[in-house]
Amino acid sequence: MSFVEALRRDAASLLTQGRVRLVLGYRIAGNGRRVPAMATSLAAAEKLVYDEQCKANLAAYLSKPHIARRTPVAIVATPQVVRALVVLAAESQLNGEQVIVLPVSAAGYSGPIDLKSAAAALAKPDRDAGILAKLKELMAMPPAERSKFWAGQFARCTRCYACRANCPACYCRQCIVEKNQPQWISTAARGHGNFAWQMIRAFHTTGRCVECGACEAACPAGIPLMLLNVYLADEAAREFGYEAGLDPAAEPLIG
Amino acid sequence: MIESADNPAPFEPRITAFVCTWCTYAGADLAGTSRLAYPPNVRIVKLPCTGRINPLFILKAFEGGADAVLVSGCHPGDCHYTSGNYHARRRWAMFRKLMDLAGIGEDRLFFSWISAAEGGKFASLIGQVTEQARSAGPFAANPARRQP
Repeated sequence: MSFVEALRRDAASLLTQGRVRLVLGYRIAGNGRRVPAMATSLAAAEKLVYDEQCKANLAAYLSKPHIARRTPVAIVATPQVVRALVVLAAESQLNGEQVIVLPVSAAGYSGPIDLKSAAAALAKPDRDAGILAKLKELMAMPPAERSKFWAGQFARCTRCYACRANCPACYCRQCIVEKNQPQWISTAARGHGNFAWQMIRAFHTTGRCVECGACEAACPAGIPLMLLNVYLADEAAREFGYEAGLDPAAEPLIG
Repeated sequence: MIESADNPAPFEPRITAFVCTWCTYAGADLAGTSRLAYPPNVRIVKLPCTGRINPLFILKAFEGGADAVLVSGCHPGDCHYTSGNYHARRRWAMFRKLMDLAGIGEDRLFFSWISAAEGGKFASLIGQVTEQARSAGPFAANPARRQP
């Protein structure tokens, strides 16, 4: 039995036993893309899939009130998604006891476990060597050159906020960029507005970002957001020995 | 001398300083009452605590055309609100790195601790920051600068 079949079988039995009201997973859409699936029926559970093309971080849905209401819930979760769930639980956005994890990873799928056990099984993350190399290259440039590099990247930002919508850590009911009395961040999709938005998005997720890459995968302009995220996560690890979402009892990095 | 195209005014950096009311602002006050001279390039914005200083303030200062920004508060352990400056310290440790990655280098963003008794330190710090900002020159590559 392939691991996808085992995943479908477990999702179906959780639903039929009434242990969960909803299974968050992935399905294949008509155009072949992997899209999030919200399975509440056996028929929907039969369509669940998982492979490396499933990029969305499903934990982002559990910080949305209309989904978070439908607990208990089971969620197909990579180690990064488990970390995002730990962050949400630590920030009182989620009752960890209402979540059953269906853990998937490069090694395949293992049966349903509770969030606490899934968190205990987490290992210290390895950072992408390609991103670290690019960061090293950037930091070797003079600041004015770095500024030019980012201006070129941010110029493509249309302020669609797909990065925010796909981020489990971005759950504010009213985002700072939508507050206009006073307006701290210009909403114009150019120069200073884009710069301020990108800086604040990265900074507000500092010490909370689990480096899942959902923001970058969602960005229609292909802005390398992971450069910002990985840099901050790496510096937090170096300066404070802090890794977001590994320890459920840890104090937040920035209080 | 009258300024003209041939004789432009020498570059004077504009520096925004965000300071806490209990330590650094009182230190600035002491510098004033002690008749210590310091460069007039600095515009001081007084806040209750460094813990109140949101990174947005710094972005806004650069957006408005500051050549350098200084943040200063109570020494660690001396916060009027017991822990505001510790929150600020962690926040700055990370924000400063983000700014550096984005192209606002360490010659544009300064952090310091000055107590209410350190009027002399305040005057010399402003002197140092102004000199560094002057030698860095106008912030032409300012990525946060508001565009017309």
